[in-house]
Amino acid sequence: MITTLTQSQILGFSNVTVRIKNEARDSRPILEAIGLQLERGETLGIVGGSGSGKSTLLRLAAGVLTPGLVLDQGEVTTVGKNLLVATPAERSNIYGSVVALVAQSIGESLTPHLTVLSHFRDTVSGEAVDERVLESLAEVGLGGEKYLHRYPHQLSGGERQRVLLALALVRSPQLLLLDEPTSALDVSIGSEVLTTIDRLQRSRGFALVCVSHDLGVVSQISKRIAVMNQGRIVELGQTSQVLRSPSHEYTKALVSSIPKLDQRIRESSLQSNETVLVCRGLQIVRGQTTRAIDSLDLEIKQGEVVGIIGESGSGKSSLLSAICGLVSVTGGSLHDGDGYDLSTALQMRPREVLSSIQMVFQNPDDSLNPMRTVAQSLSRYTHATNSEISSALLSVGLGEQFLTRRPREMSGGEKQRAAIARALLAEPRLLLLDEVTSALDVTVQAAVMKTLADLQRKLNIAMIIVSHDIALVASFVDRILVLRNGQLVEQGSVDDVIKSPRDSYTQNLINISARRAAI
Amino acid sequence: MRRVVFSLATFIALAVVSFVGVDALPGDGCTALLGRFGTNAKIDACRRENNLNDSVVVRLKDWSGDLVRGDLGYSIKRDEQVSEIIIPRLRNTAVMAAVAALIAFPSAIVVGLLLGRYPRKRISKAVNQFSVIAMTLPEFVIATVLWLVLSIWIPIFPGVSVMPSNASLLQLLPNVWLPALTLAVVIFAHSMRTMRASVTNVQNMPFVESARLRGTNERKMISRHIVPAALPPVVNVVALDGAWLLTGTFVTEAAFNFQGLGRLAIDAISDRDTALILPIILFGLAVYLVSSILADSLVRVFDPRLRSNNR
Amino acid sequence: MKTLLRFNFLKNRALIFSVLGFHAFVALLAPYLRLSSTDSQDSAALLQGPSLNHWLGTDSLGRDVFSRLLHGGRPSLVIAFVATAISCLIGIVIGSLAALAGGWIDEALSRVIDFMLALPTLILLLLISSFFGQDPLILSVALGLMYASPIARVARSATQTLLARDFIRVARLQGGSRISILFGEVLPNVWRVMFTEVAMQFTWILLAFSSLSFLGLGASPPTPEWGLMIAESRSYMTLNPLLVIAPIMMLASLVLAIQALVDHE
Repeated sequence: MITTLTQSQILGFSNVTVRIKNEARDSRPILEAIGLQLERGETLGIVGGSGSGKSTLLRLAAGVLTPGLVLDQGEVTTVGKNLLVATPAERSNIYGSVVALVAQSIGESLTPHLTVLSHFRDTVSGEAVDERVLESLAEVGLGGEKYLHRYPHQLSGGERQRVLLALALVRSPQLLLLDEPTSALDVSIGSEVLTTIDRLQRSRGFALVCVSHDLGVVSQISKRIAVMNQGRIVELGQTSQVLRSPSHEYTKALVSSIPKLDQRIRESSLQSNETVLVCRGLQIVRGQTTRAIDSLDLEIKQGEVVGIIGESGSGKSSLLSAICGLVSVTGGSLHDGDGYDLSTALQMRPREVLSSIQMVFQNPDDSLNPMRTVAQSLSRYTHATNSEISSALLSVGLGEQFLTRRPREMSGGEKQRAAIARALLAEPRLLLLDEVTSALDVTVQAAVMKTLADLQRKLNIAMIIVSHDIALVASFVDRILVLRNGQLVEQGSVDDVIKSPRDSYTQNLINISARRAAI
Repeated sequence: MRRVVFSLATFIALAVVSFVGVDALPGDGCTALLGRFGTNAKIDACRRENNLNDSVVVRLKDWSGDLVRGDLGYSIKRDEQVSEIIIPRLRNTAVMAAVAALIAFPSAIVVGLLLGRYPRKRISKAVNQFSVIAMTLPEFVIATVLWLVLSIWIPIFPGVSVMPSNASLLQLLPNVWLPALTLAVVIFAHSMRTMRASVTNVQNMPFVESARLRGTNERKMISRHIVPAALPPVVNVVALDGAWLLTGTFVTEAAFNFQGLGRLAIDAISDRDTALILPIILFGLAVYLVSSILADSLVRVFDPRLRSNNR
Repeated sequence: MKTLLRFNFLKNRALIFSVLGFHAFVALLAPYLRLSSTDSQDSAALLQGPSLNHWLGTDSLGRDVFSRLLHGGRPSLVIAFVATAISCLIGIVIGSLAALAGGWIDEALSRVIDFMLALPTLILLLLISSFFGQDPLILSVALGLMYASPIARVARSATQTLLARDFIRVARLQGGSRISILFGEVLPNVWRVMFTEVAMQFTWILLAFSSLSFLGLGASPPTPEWGLMIAESRSYMTLNPLLVIAPIMMLASLVLAIQALVDHE
């Protein structure tokens, strides 16, 4: 079936279905009956959780099909050609000059042994190469000669992303494809990069397709949005329309799951008098010289929930690690509610102290021993009985069948819930949660946060929640702390901090968050 | 620079340890010379003549003094200066090593690159099988098989050689091929597999796809992106195996009776000729240390992240 | 020939296991089979080809090649097993403890491991063999000690990778002692990586001893040992080629089968 190509259509999917090679007919395809069109100069965002097929779709637009997948049905037309059947030479000609894909840059997307300038030399030749490169870099916000001869490891994450952008745009392609452009970046840096992308799109007029799991990212730079779930496009329309009044169930769930600064999902705890943690002038040094935490004062009462906001390098993870003893304290004092000195090394702490502080980590794939069943993992060091484990699992929303499951048979959300149950079995007074939902889809995140809210109310445990997402924290905790480069720049109740922040850094984070939620 | 100084210090320390160690072995140059026929009186006389009764410290001082001046010592058993024994054989081994290296390394790198970049099922399987066999079989088996095939069944090369150690280069050449070929087979597989694995590894990295999706052509992909990123592990292997070619080839040399350093080492050890064993050990240590330094420096060329400014 | 090339010897599980089975059978049961003596010399029948009396012929001293062949793997196999066991024990314990302990203990142990890795093993073996007699026990212990360091290094890096994983951190937070973590979490996850390394070390040691025997510094005559047999019979190749080919086939098949088994994992 040949699609009639209008002069201005730059990308077209007609009834595209993609399956895993050799898989049974009745199993769910990776992409199912995908149809969409994009005109010149238009912007389209594609949103979906993990497993929605959005990355596969984007790569198809670039004529790339992951080995192991087959195009079962349909056709993809990019700039008037079917790139999937083009020869390598034809594709080589098109990439960069007509179509450019900037892939997810977790890890090295820039060649480590080439300077920035050398990267451009791959495809830019002729006279005045240096000037052209300088211009390109300046356009993405990297002005000055110094960037030309830097190596990738000498650039920050944001700078690397900008270089990738410049590389993609240097030959003025008509279509730019972006895969999770800001996922690996801090919120504030990511926001700046998105602003740059938006500016460039308006001034240069190329068509743009941006894929992300983050609705906020996509809504910032695209006029139209496609929502994907389990391989299908469930909703497609103008961004503002879809976000304000979503029609499909999944979209509704997606929109309502996003944490909002002014929407509480948990009631504040009552003040207690008992202290659970006290630190004065705390100092933690990492490596030889880096001060991960510099002179921090903090007090946490029984049943209180404290949120710590910080970006990378803020010291938030070091703080948690020091509290539970995984990392040593180099200055100041750190005590628990009974006066026990928490600067003691982990192996010297008595059992009661160890149990009273427990932590849940960020990566669901790493939290459980891959060789053990849930029951084994949860009982091994807590010596809990099967019935105790069952009720712990129940309290986090996992049924009895999970006792015999192994990590590879569980989803990210299920693994995190099991990790939380394991921490609770030690009956801690203080629970530390280090970005525990950051690796989860936003709908799963909302569910896990609700479970945590229920647990906190029932057991009245104190919690420290660390996140980069200020809206998530503001909707949940009693008190907020903002960390930047090891310093505490803001501390106060949620209302105080959000409505009248004292520090400009905090204000900036609030602004970015508000902008993403608004349409 | 720091590395060089550190290695020098290591070398000196190991030299002293070796001296003391070899000295501690039962027997000395005199018992080696006189063997079973040595009566106590004769052995004593010999020892007095050669200053072997001095304490270890004194002998160590004398020996290191000699060494610095370039005098490698004197072999009592063979009644020759050590340097005159070692140097011609060192030359022979060096020639053999050079031939083996020239055959093996360039071809291994090219084959590894091609197999890694364009894996074609059948050829890949065949080469894989060959290299596994080559890597697993012991040297003496490969030597014997090659000798069987290329010297007995199809008489191309001379077999076990009868050349003297100080033969001229021209006389040396016909005898060099079989041992060099044996060594080449042994080390080819290692470098080839390392290169292939490295290329496969590099190809899966995000920056390779990133370059391809920018429109970089195949030639540039290979020469600018893939090869420099894939070379560091291969450099290490080449340095290691290169050092081995100079110091570890006893079995092959014994199999072909090739008068090189390896053959000498075996003879010296069998003869218990301590004066000869020690310089050979030191030579081995020196080669290993130098090749480590060279390898590290070369790897830095390919990976800017390792250059001095960065931790 | 083409079919021979196409048949992937090294991937065929049945073939691998039958070769290994055959070698195990031969190595273990050779003395109990009613074979001709490995030592009796029949001066009337030197360097004969295969015959009814001597299935693979006789060697230069009139000894029966077939029975010597079947006995020929035992010396190196015994030494390889003993040495590998020693090196595993020392290597795994030192390597994983170094990674678990961290700090200066780790530094010190790593220096020791590096130092031992730098030693020229074959020269040392030659020296030990020549100066301390060709005693199999001494050689096994020496081999075990020398080859403990590659295993220690792999054990250490495998353990370090494991330690960075969150579930180990949780184990520590919940009161797991270092020993219990070592045996409960670390070793079970590490052993699969180790298996390859250990199998390779086993083959290395086996071949090192065979090479030593080839040079005349390993098994001493009249012990039947494949390396020694190859060395002894090289000059008589043309008279009875089986003298050299048979031991080569035995040695090669054993070593390749082990390698193929390892590659499969």
